[in-house]
Amino acid sequence: MLRIAHKTTFGLRFLTTERKSVSVVGSGPSGFYTVCRLLAKAQIPLDVTLWEKLPVPFGLSRYGVAPDHPEVKNCEDTFSRCAEEFAHGTGKGHSFRFVGNVDVGRDVKLKKLLETQDAVVLSYGCSGDHKLGIPGENTTAGVFTSREIVNWYNGHPEYSGVKDKLSSFDWSKVRRVGIIGNGNVALDITRVLLSNQIKDIWTHTDINPEALKALNEAPVENVKLIARRDFSHSKFTNKEFRELWELERFGIRGTISPEFFKASQFDMKNAERVFKRRVEMVSEYMLPFDQRTKKNYKKHRPPSTIPSRTWEMDYLKTPLTINGNSEGKLESLTLCRNILTQDNKLEQRKSDTLNYDLDLLITSLGYGSSALEEFDALQIGFATNRIANTNGYVLDTNGVIVRGLFAAGWIRRGSSGVIASTMSDAFEVADAVIAELESGSLPKNKDVDLSRINYTTWDDWEKIDKEERSRGQLQGKPRVKFLSTHEMLQFLRK
Amino acid sequence: MLRIAAFSRLVSRSSLTAGRAMPKTMPQALGLSLTPVRFHGHVHKPKPGEELHVTFILKDGTQRKYEVCKGDSLLDIAQAHNLDMEGACGGSCACSTCHVIVDPEYYDALEEPDDDENDMLDLAYGLTETSRLGCQIKMSKDVDGIRVALPALTRNVSNADFE
Repeated sequence: MLRIAHKTTFGLRFLTTERKSVSVVGSGPSGFYTVCRLLAKAQIPLDVTLWEKLPVPFGLSRYGVAPDHPEVKNCEDTFSRCAEEFAHGTGKGHSFRFVGNVDVGRDVKLKKLLETQDAVVLSYGCSGDHKLGIPGENTTAGVFTSREIVNWYNGHPEYSGVKDKLSSFDWSKVRRVGIIGNGNVALDITRVLLSNQIKDIWTHTDINPEALKALNEAPVENVKLIARRDFSHSKFTNKEFRELWELERFGIRGTISPEFFKASQFDMKNAERVFKRRVEMVSEYMLPFDQRTKKNYKKHRPPSTIPSRTWEMDYLKTPLTINGNSEGKLESLTLCRNILTQDNKLEQRKSDTLNYDLDLLITSLGYGSSALEEFDALQIGFATNRIANTNGYVLDTNGVIVRGLFAAGWIRRGSSGVIASTMSDAFEVADAVIAELESGSLPKNKDVDLSRINYTTWDDWEKIDKEERSRGQLQGKPRVKFLSTHEMLQFLRK
Repeated sequence: MLRIAAFSRLVSRSSLTAGRAMPKTMPQALGLSLTPVRFHGHVHKPKPGEELHVTFILKDGTQRKYEVCKGDSLLDIAQAHNLDMEGACGGSCACSTCHVIVDPEYYDALEEPDDDENDMLDLAYGLTETSRLGCQIKMSKDVDGIRVALPALTRNVSNADFE
């Protein structure tokens, strides 16, 4: 194949004038970092299409990251710069287009993408919830999944606006809350529930205003964070844990019973750094303010009044049944105690049960992913919550690499890890895509027919973005989000 | 070898955008003139005689030495020079993508990392005893000549990288 180096407007030198096409499915951090890496590193001119189910980009960055963590969303700036740079390409260099409001698998078939694109990267993440699978979970009013709560307070179109069922929930009765799970999402929700009435925290965020109004009604007194295993198995990161302790400055107090935490019980000599720091954090914060030994645990003296709001870590319990009253409203949760054996196996003591009276129960068991309907017909492998793959190369049901198909992010590795780990994952996969594209097979580069589809473009997103920001500016917030797809499309039609 | 640096260029481009938001009259008012953007990113040009030095050891082992200005962060310096260092959170100490490994000879000259930084370092790949976040290291006389290595994503970097 003849390879000609020529300079483009972007200062990139390409090895060939032959263009190749890449489709990336899902515009959250994994998808967008894949796109950015492709456009930065590929030495052959690419036409990159980023597909998104919602009319707007950024996935979990926009709808998963807690509203009081705006700095975590700063990756969106990188994504936008990348998109702006390439969205108006000249035809010689790379081109980028965003196609929103299109559900790949339904509106456009994956099969079609595989036929027309030189490479397809699946990065659609995890849109489902893990469930407890216990009686009462799906039928009791007052039981929600972490995804419902998080997407609601973040204004996700499928959980807010016209589809909102959480704003109409009677929050004025919510005093005792149970959260099953011990990850960062469980901690985020605890922080939101306990601090909802503190204006300093929430006024200047882009939290869904409807959600904030509803949450403000809740006289939350206690949140129990319930886990099957013990303190040393907690999955959250120290940053989120510290934030929870630091709420003491507002009179919100945390605790762990000595039954579950004694600093002397841990083998600190052989412990890892993260765990050592976590043990120190708890040991210090459990001390009265003036008795703490390090100054970084004495940043803000808590008010002298008795804390009216508390959270507690509760370990070694497995939920058995969720109990409702005659109207189907949540009354209590029945759990059994667990023990951990020497070799770290969990044993449930089914006869050793206890009951927690609760007004709200949230299951925060991690996000689950699902296969696209077409996977069966295309014989694409899918098992235990992720697409079968080796280093991002998707495998078929026989374990053979499907040429030109890749997976990145949570759909590839499962739903854990922060944006930094998703970024390096996306970079690895993008590099594999580039290697495949540069290996010399003939480009397909046919168009995908979008003439019958009502899709949104990057320019559309910029209009929505601008509108949300200017709405926010009036109220001293970074933005006020559109709460439904309908509202977004209506706005764009004007 | 062809050098592809578009992604880093994106970052430097942003500083141009940011620059546009500044009052246009400011340089004149201060009696300064606008010089072509040689030092882009958020870095400053050091005054003659006040240059500080930093050496980056890249993932492939090559070394890059720069003359820099007091107060500039290693993240900004790296991005201004198109090095492969991400700052996913924009340098606000909320991620670990600008993780660097500091030459032990210079590590103690730095102020100790605070809780926020340590919480993020908890999550860094290939953490070492002298790991820091590039966004939190500001150049000063105390660390003039500092050497840092960019950790590779797929392997652990050790102090042997400095030998």
